[in-house]
Amino acid sequence: MTEEHQHTLALEVRDLTRAFGVRKALDGVSLELPVGAFLSIFGPNGAGKTTLVKVLTTLLNPSSGSARVLGRDVVSDAVDLRTHIGLISHNPLLYPDLTAEENLLFFAEMYGVEQPHVRVSELLEAVELDHRKLDLTRTFSRGMLQRLSIARALLHRPEVIFLDEPYSGLDPHAMDILDGLIAQIRDSHTFVMISHDLDKGLELCSHALILAKGRVVLYEPREAIDDAAFRQTYRSTVGMGVS
Amino acid sequence: MASASGRQLRAMLRKDIVMELRTKEMIMSMGLYSLLTMVVYFVALSQAGSNFDPRDIAAGLLWLAFIFTSMLGLNRSLVHEKDQGCLEALLLSPVDRPVIFFAKAGGNLIFLLAVEALTLPVFGFLFLQGTHLDWGSIALLPLILIVGSIGMAGVGTLLATMSVNTSGKDFVLAMLFIPLMYPLLLGAVTATGGAIVGGAQGVSVFWTGMGWVVGYDVIMLLASYGLYEFIVGA
Repeated sequence: MTEEHQHTLALEVRDLTRAFGVRKALDGVSLELPVGAFLSIFGPNGAGKTTLVKVLTTLLNPSSGSARVLGRDVVSDAVDLRTHIGLISHNPLLYPDLTAEENLLFFAEMYGVEQPHVRVSELLEAVELDHRKLDLTRTFSRGMLQRLSIARALLHRPEVIFLDEPYSGLDPHAMDILDGLIAQIRDSHTFVMISHDLDKGLELCSHALILAKGRVVLYEPREAIDDAAFRQTYRSTVGMGVS
Repeated sequence: MASASGRQLRAMLRKDIVMELRTKEMIMSMGLYSLLTMVVYFVALSQAGSNFDPRDIAAGLLWLAFIFTSMLGLNRSLVHEKDQGCLEALLLSPVDRPVIFFAKAGGNLIFLLAVEALTLPVFGFLFLQGTHLDWGSIALLPLILIVGSIGMAGVGTLLATMSVNTSGKDFVLAMLFIPLMYPLLLGAVTATGGAIVGGAQGVSVFWTGMGWVVGYDVIMLLASYGLYEFIVGA
């Protein structure tokens, strides 16, 4: 990998395959994404979207092929890479029996965040949860949990943010807050978002990817996409299911 | 890196202790189960003849209770991590997988020792009252409880991590845990029996059993340490 690539490519995926037994959840996926881009990933259930994000976030090892995020290999540079990425999932990834503040302070310690109390206060304010910081997160609504989950993912100032169906189950107010937070940091971060919402995904993205049966059906920059043709391609993949 | 791992280990341990003190789920269920087991033992042995010396089987009864009690806690400790995807969040952070293993095993060890400390006086009151005890050798009991519990917590944490994603996790854990505990059980019962019987011979038996358990701990902890990354990533 050249020095130039290290600075310009957020994702570099080469012939990536991940199998679970005989079933290939990812089958020869290749793509490149520049730093600062917003990639929306679409596809039917079982298409391999979550598996792709899990491999890119070092939660799963590839069966073959390679994947680099910000020039770091997802297997050999995994520990270093984790300090540069954040994940906002439809699952809150928070401990229900810790308070909002305790949750964030715990993860701040895990990431070695400097001045953790200052950073935690800053983020709790940003997600409008500072007034609930001493409450156990098991008492939080879905929207509040998702806002706190965003704060957790941003604690260590990641450069690439992965979003796995982040709008799932959110009320309109929580969706607005999430939109606002994404807009605030949009220019300074790379985003990779899994979405079933075609309108939202296309509205936000600079690049769009359609996966089906673990393979790339379409991968194009936003400006090259014809919305009607894209929707048609997407619809044709729905129902294709798993390989 | 070592200081980062130390900081992460302390953070995970503190988090587990805070959550347990708040919910008391593990301590309550394990403690209650252990005490109920003592009561069942007492009732079951109440009809034993006058020649029956409870010291002959005390060590076996005690470790049987600890083994089954520990299984109850081990599953719960990992279920906490699975709630709302917390294990995933932990795995996303820049922490070496063996650090997670040592933190989880450390937490399980603390809770297990707390339950043992609660159970032991009850056991003594119910079964060893009025029997001749060598207090010098009885003082060795905490040592074998600690060393035996290290092995139980270490192997148990590894197996609980393996089984937590399976549909019948309680069954899977029991099927794996009990056979793997067999060598430890042998050594621990031997050492505990020696400490309860006392005398020069009892103390000698104690150290033989103790050596066995220490050897088991070293081998199994090294194996667990080596395997944890693979198991978590599988």
